[in-house]
Amino acid sequence: MFKDNPNKSGKNAETIIGQSVKVEGDFIGEGDVIVEGIVVGNLRTKNHLTVGSEAKIQAEIGAQSAFVAGEIIGNVKIDDYLELTATASIAGDVSAGLISIERGAKINGKVNIGGEIMPKVNKKVVIKEPEEETDNAQF
Amino acid sequence: MHWYVYEESLNDKKFATELSKIESRLADLEIKGRICRLSVLKNLSEALREAVSQGAETIVAVGSDQCFLQTAVAAAAFPSVTVGFIPMDDNSLFASAFGLPIGDKACDVLAQRLVKKIDLGKVNQNYFVDALSFSGEQVFLEFAGYQISPASSEAVLSVRNLGLTAFASGAQKMASPTDGKLEAVIEPLKKNWLGKMKLSGRPSVFPFRRARIVSKGEPASILADGRTVAKTPAEVTVEPEKLKVIVGPQRLF
Repeated sequence: MFKDNPNKSGKNAETIIGQSVKVEGDFIGEGDVIVEGIVVGNLRTKNHLTVGSEAKIQAEIGAQSAFVAGEIIGNVKIDDYLELTATASIAGDVSAGLISIERGAKINGKVNIGGEIMPKVNKKVVIKEPEEETDNAQF
Repeated sequence: MHWYVYEESLNDKKFATELSKIESRLADLEIKGRICRLSVLKNLSEALREAVSQGAETIVAVGSDQCFLQTAVAAAAFPSVTVGFIPMDDNSLFASAFGLPIGDKACDVLAQRLVKKIDLGKVNQNYFVDALSFSGEQVFLEFAGYQISPASSEAVLSVRNLGLTAFASGAQKMASPTDGKLEAVIEPLKKNWLGKMKLSGRPSVFPFRRARIVSKGEPASILADGRTVAKTPAEVTVEPEKLKVIVGPQRLF
């Protein structure tokens, strides 16, 4: 999105919450979101969320995928892939489709990865043999 | 029909040769039209109103970036009008952004007539093409559902559509004027040992369609494309595909 040289500007609606900024309230982004500052409230995006190592988030998080290297106090719900680095710290429940946790990351809450685990059902399978054909066919 | 709006500074004799070359090239390309020279006695709004009433479909600003910005903003009131630009300043930012050569070479781009619809920003009832900046500190933006505020007093807030001139740090970085959004940009700055303001971290960027600009304490002045147009509190919105502009193939969007 930012171009130092005179290249064509992209159409990526990327939100960047830098270290010098505080966001308070319900933030709902449409594109990728990068957080390096402070967020208090709710944070949701339909795309990718990046939480920098200096970021401090006190919010309920929802995203398609996420890369977390900072501090989150709140529940985290990721539809697809969640990656936690060694400096990540989450105080809340975590739910994701897939997860990668680097050694050193901290999670203090319930973790639910890959959806609900369905209980095994023991069913008796009955194979029905086809009926024999008779001479007197009925129409 | 084409109308050419000559900036007041072009009345200087040093521009006579260049203007003559431009007019000759326009005649060769068969896009010559009426010429309107701005002066103390004739302002841009009057000139445009007169041009549109006489059937002008293309208004071409001839001069500096400021002339183009003012022409574009005035033309926003007339949806049928297409805006062109013949830059006369070698350092023109909008020339490179729109893919326009300087001087008479821009006439060929005008003749090709590659038209793009760009977004315009609107603060209260005033349009802007490039960006909003604010005088005074303690200016905040309120969006639907959330508020952003700088964490330090050295940060500078601006709102950009193109954003070629708005950056306090002097860096020139352009946003897309066709994405249907504006961007609120907060630049953290600090003075270096020469006393010059430099970026001291990654700027924050918030794409949005509607926001409210407020300030703590005294109302702050809002500058749209360098002109003071309003004071806080004010409403800022985007008007997607509001203005038709003739651009070149080497444009940056």
